[in-house]
Amino acid sequence: MKIIAATAAALFGLALAGSAPPAFAAEPVAAAATPSLTVRFAGIETPTGAVLLSLYASEAAFDAGGQPVASRMAPVKGDTAEAVFPGLAPGRYAVKAFHDIDGDGKMGTTPFGMPTEPYAFSNDAIGEAGPAKWAGASFDLGAADTVHTIKIR
Amino acid sequence: MLNDLHLDRRQLLGRAGLAVAALAVPGVAIAGPALPDWALGVGDVAGDVPMQALTLLHGRAPEDLAGMLYRNGPARFRRGGTASGHWFDGDGMIRAWGLRDGKATLAARFVDTPKRRLEDKLGAMVQPGFGTASRAGSRVTSADDTNAANTAVIAAGGRLLALWEAGSAFAIDPDTLATRGPEVFRSDLAGMPFLAHPRIEPDGRIWNLGLSGKAAFVWRLSASGQLEAGQAIPLPMGSYIHDFTATARHLVIVLQPWVQDHMALPFVESLSWKPELGSKVLVVDKADLSKRRIYELPPFAFFHLGDAWEETDGTIRFDGCFEADPSFGRDAARALVDGRYIPVPSPRLTMVALRPDGRADMTAAGIEAEFPRSEPQLAGLPRSRTVHVGGYLPGRPFASKVGIWDWRTGKDDAHDFGPRQLVEEFVPLSSGKRPLLMGTTINLDTRRSELHLFDARRVAAGPLASWSADMALPVSFHGNWVGRGAV
Ligand SMILES: [Fe+2]
Repeated sequence: MKIIAATAAALFGLALAGSAPPAFAAEPVAAAATPSLTVRFAGIETPTGAVLLSLYASEAAFDAGGQPVASRMAPVKGDTAEAVFPGLAPGRYAVKAFHDIDGDGKMGTTPFGMPTEPYAFSNDAIGEAGPAKWAGASFDLGAADTVHTIKIR
Repeated sequence: MLNDLHLDRRQLLGRAGLAVAALAVPGVAIAGPALPDWALGVGDVAGDVPMQALTLLHGRAPEDLAGMLYRNGPARFRRGGTASGHWFDGDGMIRAWGLRDGKATLAARFVDTPKRRLEDKLGAMVQPGFGTASRAGSRVTSADDTNAANTAVIAAGGRLLALWEAGSAFAIDPDTLATRGPEVFRSDLAGMPFLAHPRIEPDGRIWNLGLSGKAAFVWRLSASGQLEAGQAIPLPMGSYIHDFTATARHLVIVLQPWVQDHMALPFVESLSWKPELGSKVLVVDKADLSKRRIYELPPFAFFHLGDAWEETDGTIRFDGCFEADPSFGRDAARALVDGRYIPVPSPRLTMVALRPDGRADMTAAGIEAEFPRSEPQLAGLPRSRTVHVGGYLPGRPFASKVGIWDWRTGKDDAHDFGPRQLVEEFVPLSSGKRPLLMGTTINLDTRRSELHLFDARRVAAGPLASWSADMALPVSFHGNWVGRGAV
């Protein structure tokens, strides 16, 4: 309904494509584990363009449009795409992503600001009247290398 | 509109019948003890309705009248122990009332929306709506996930469009009534709101609005339903807008003081009644959407407007069905689903005049009226007659009369179906030069839906012909007559 349009217009302005990939904020602790995180996207319906994704390490950044710790562009191959974040510190993370079907580097939106390209969050989390929140999208990265799969539609 | 697909009704209903014959046998069921008999009007239909021949109750239809009255309205409100929280939130069902060679038929099919699929799978009503709160299992990634596609249906470009208001139109096959999916007029407009009340010029061009707060997106479609232009315009206030109107040259957007002034769910909870703001009318030039005038009117609430027109001195006129406050949409239409009746102010037929000097005034017809309609060939042009329903009875919702109000004579040519019928919208059509009126009712004694045809010059004389289905479909909202060979 209209209320969804209103909130989504404000919240779906995913600060991913626009922001240049920042340097890692999460410095691996010396002599500690530095696992890599592979984010794999499944179920891609249009085999063109790339998935643009950002990795967040705090609730404040994820929920309030703050800076991600890293961003990637993962070219779509068939119905999948994959991005690797090596050398992370173990901890809690969350991902925002959209499928840049037309390759313009931006999430396509309607004149009312609603997304017209597929998007997804880690844990396949779904927001209520807006993007998913950290509480639903965040996951633990332990000491071991990890693959996290997200269905994007 | 409507010249590019030849529609043969036998083929149509034959195929529709084949398509749905294997599905569940429909039947109206409503939960709960001791419901009033009018609750049949908000009952549930279990599944699609295969084509059936109707039983002629009396009279005769003109032999040369052939076509379909396509109508849309909610027909499923409950799953498991859960129910929609508002009359406006049930699953849309397209009804095809057919007429040919003096014989009448009915077929009906649900619009296959993501909301209906999810709720069928879960066996519960979980998606939020106009007046329905979301429940566990709700999944909303776009407005179309909550789209009930339940409010109106038009024909354009060889397809039907099932209309809601806060999301996409759903394309429907006019032969089988099968859902093709949400209509994407242009890739960047996917999922944009599209009101259930487009204004269609006599040559078929379609104007519509999509609303978001204090902005309206103006849709302009060709007669075949292709996008010609689209542009967002600002509105003077963030009113709830269900309908607008238009003259040949202007869009006329009426803003009631029922405004979205805070965030809340369900949507109706975000609206506040602020009569101190008054009502406003925004008039926009169709040829240049930046050319606009704003008129002030006393406060009223409304859902529906009649077609507008312009007089030689520049005065713009239109009528509407105005209520003293929005308690029907806010409260009474929620209680309906539970079989509870809440008395509310009646809609009153009212003429608005927007004067060239910037003044605006209102004149009451002095009758109750809803679902105002006029001849499609006069859309945007001067007219004096307004088709309407009315006759709201104490103690129950829904109309009991149909009539045609004449603003020139100040007389209402009406037929009273009596307290044992729930009267739905009636639409004008013609057979040759003979003006007719067609619509549907629910007979509370036989517990069956009926189709009625009137001579539009003698409504008070009663129906020319009436037919009965073998079952009752719940009260529907809006529809249109599509003459044979004219989808
Ligand atoms: Fe309506």
